[in-house]
Amino acid sequence: MKRSMAANALLWFVLIMGTAVFVFPLWWMTAVSLETPDRAAAAMTGRTGLAALPADPQFGNYAEAIRQTGSIEWMGFVDALANSIVVTVLVVVGTVLSSSLVGYALARLRFRGSTPLFLVMLGTMMLPGQVTMIPLFLVFRQLGWIDSILPLVVPAFFGNAFFIFMYRQFIAQIPESLVEAARIDGLGHLAIWWKMVLPLCRPVTAICAVFTFIGTWNDFMAPLIYLHSDEAATLAVALNDFRGQYGGVNNVHLLMALSVLTMIPCIVLFIAAQKTFVEGLARGSVKG
Amino acid sequence: MANVRLTKVGKVYEGPSGSAVRAVEAVDLDIADGEFCVLVGPSGCGKSTTLRMVAGLEEISEGTLEIDGARVNDLPAKDRDIAFVFQNYALYPHLTVGQNIAFGLEQRRVHRSGVKAMLTGASAARAKESEAIAARVAEVSRTLGLDALLARFPRELSGGQRQRVAVGRAIARDPKVFLFDEPLSNLDARLRIETRTELRLLHRRLRATILYVTHDQEEAMTLADRLVVMHRGRVQQNASAQECYERPANRFVAGFIGTPPMNIVDGRAERGGFAANGVSLALPARWPSLNADQPCALGFRPDRIRLVAAGAEGSVSAMVAAVERLGDRTDIALDSAWGRVVARIAADDAAGIREGDACGFEPDPQHLHLFETGECGARINPR
Repeated sequence: MKRSMAANALLWFVLIMGTAVFVFPLWWMTAVSLETPDRAAAAMTGRTGLAALPADPQFGNYAEAIRQTGSIEWMGFVDALANSIVVTVLVVVGTVLSSSLVGYALARLRFRGSTPLFLVMLGTMMLPGQVTMIPLFLVFRQLGWIDSILPLVVPAFFGNAFFIFMYRQFIAQIPESLVEAARIDGLGHLAIWWKMVLPLCRPVTAICAVFTFIGTWNDFMAPLIYLHSDEAATLAVALNDFRGQYGGVNNVHLLMALSVLTMIPCIVLFIAAQKTFVEGLARGSVKG
Repeated sequence: MANVRLTKVGKVYEGPSGSAVRAVEAVDLDIADGEFCVLVGPSGCGKSTTLRMVAGLEEISEGTLEIDGARVNDLPAKDRDIAFVFQNYALYPHLTVGQNIAFGLEQRRVHRSGVKAMLTGASAARAKESEAIAARVAEVSRTLGLDALLARFPRELSGGQRQRVAVGRAIARDPKVFLFDEPLSNLDARLRIETRTELRLLHRRLRATILYVTHDQEEAMTLADRLVVMHRGRVQQNASAQECYERPANRFVAGFIGTPPMNIVDGRAERGGFAANGVSLALPARWPSLNADQPCALGFRPDRIRLVAAGAEGSVSAMVAAVERLGDRTDIALDSAWGRVVARIAADDAAGIREGDACGFEPDPQHLHLFETGECGARINPR
């Protein structure tokens, strides 16, 4: 069907406007990160407009932002980056392993009370995080885990209700005969999960890993609550140091430069994972 | 290879509200070493459950299962040394054909990889093992003509090829017993007949003990050394295919084995004959145990019927309801006082027969079967 010129124009207009809304913050962040301190501060308070492309891009802002992160020059950034990577990798691995294992059990093992357990688990999704925040803090303090990464990482190894649900639905669709064939070939439940279910669940794992990665990498609340010392802070918390003592922002150009750096892994990951999502969809459509 | 013996094996499922559902009842079966035994019956007759109990995929509720003389009731599936070919093949979708065939062997490796193996010097032994597995996979794939497909994934194969891979996976491990669960029913008709022959040849070459389940009685008859006909969880007859065809143990077997099925007419015995709906037929005096006036059923196969002119003496009058010409032979459905009867005659003899013609038929007196009444009424043996 051929669209008329007017319809085409309207469609383009809507799409361009939508894109503008999404791109604006990214552009603003990048543009400010490349401005001189004066112009950045002026743009921040709205005193002057912002050039679409900075006339005199200050790439040095990035090095300066890295240097000033944390309390130790240069190393503060390395610390925060390392903390972020360690926490995020552990949380992703823990979430994928535990959620798929629990999902397998709920989908494939017949045991008394499996349905009520499943419902209770789904019920926990209804609880807002704010409700459990303080009790959880008290529990972790009692365990002596405050100012360590344990409160951030350990819960991930106990599954995530939403991903357990996703894995369970996916695993329930794997033909029973595949599992039986594996049993005859000498695999126990753990081996079936590791050698058959996990490889077959690749599309779910991709979604689970990417969402968990982005969520953990960008998480500000939990690290802020549990990590108190500078050395333990993750990137998201370290960013916060650029805010002044009273909430004002002194070096907005540096804050934006570090924000751009922090975002890069998420953007790269999302672009890379897009291919896997599509591939996963295509694989699912071919019976095999 | 080994023999398999089932003694009074039964399966009871717990139904809703605590009631027990019997899927399989007191099955006795003795499969000799190297025998091709086929379980056949309509769906829901318990044949698949029986097979799955032998495999260890279902628990055995009652009775004893022995493989190679040892009781294996409580042995998990992996320790029974059996191979199972599933109806949907159950190939591992994330592994190539070669990896699928090797999978069972890989799981049964004696020498593990890893640091410990390196320290204890088991690496050489493991390498040797890998070589042996590769050689076995090559041998199996050559046997089944899968050489060119080893690097493919199951989703890239046709139905027939997948089926061959499933068989390859089973024979790679050289198990004591092969179990097949309707392995041909996902193939199209022509391929099914080809594969049937291949299976038969494979059995001859491997001299394997095979327990095979199908609902297709033709497939069952062509494959079986021994045919086990099941119905309602019970074994109805356990004999050679020929025996089941010529001397069906009861009315169910008579109706199930053979296409088109045997004509069976309910009636009662008369002095020297059989009568149903007022039409009598003289029986050759060969049924000594038959009492006069005893209710019974008369069976005769469609190809053991002679068509005669209407009103001929000793015949049953009928009208031609339908004519199905199959090339070399013709199936004729006849409506008579005995109900719908199918006759199969040579095409030449059927040339002039039209639907609506009046005629008569005579069952061949040498090939009559008598059964007691009821769905599984026992055969009444002639002298």
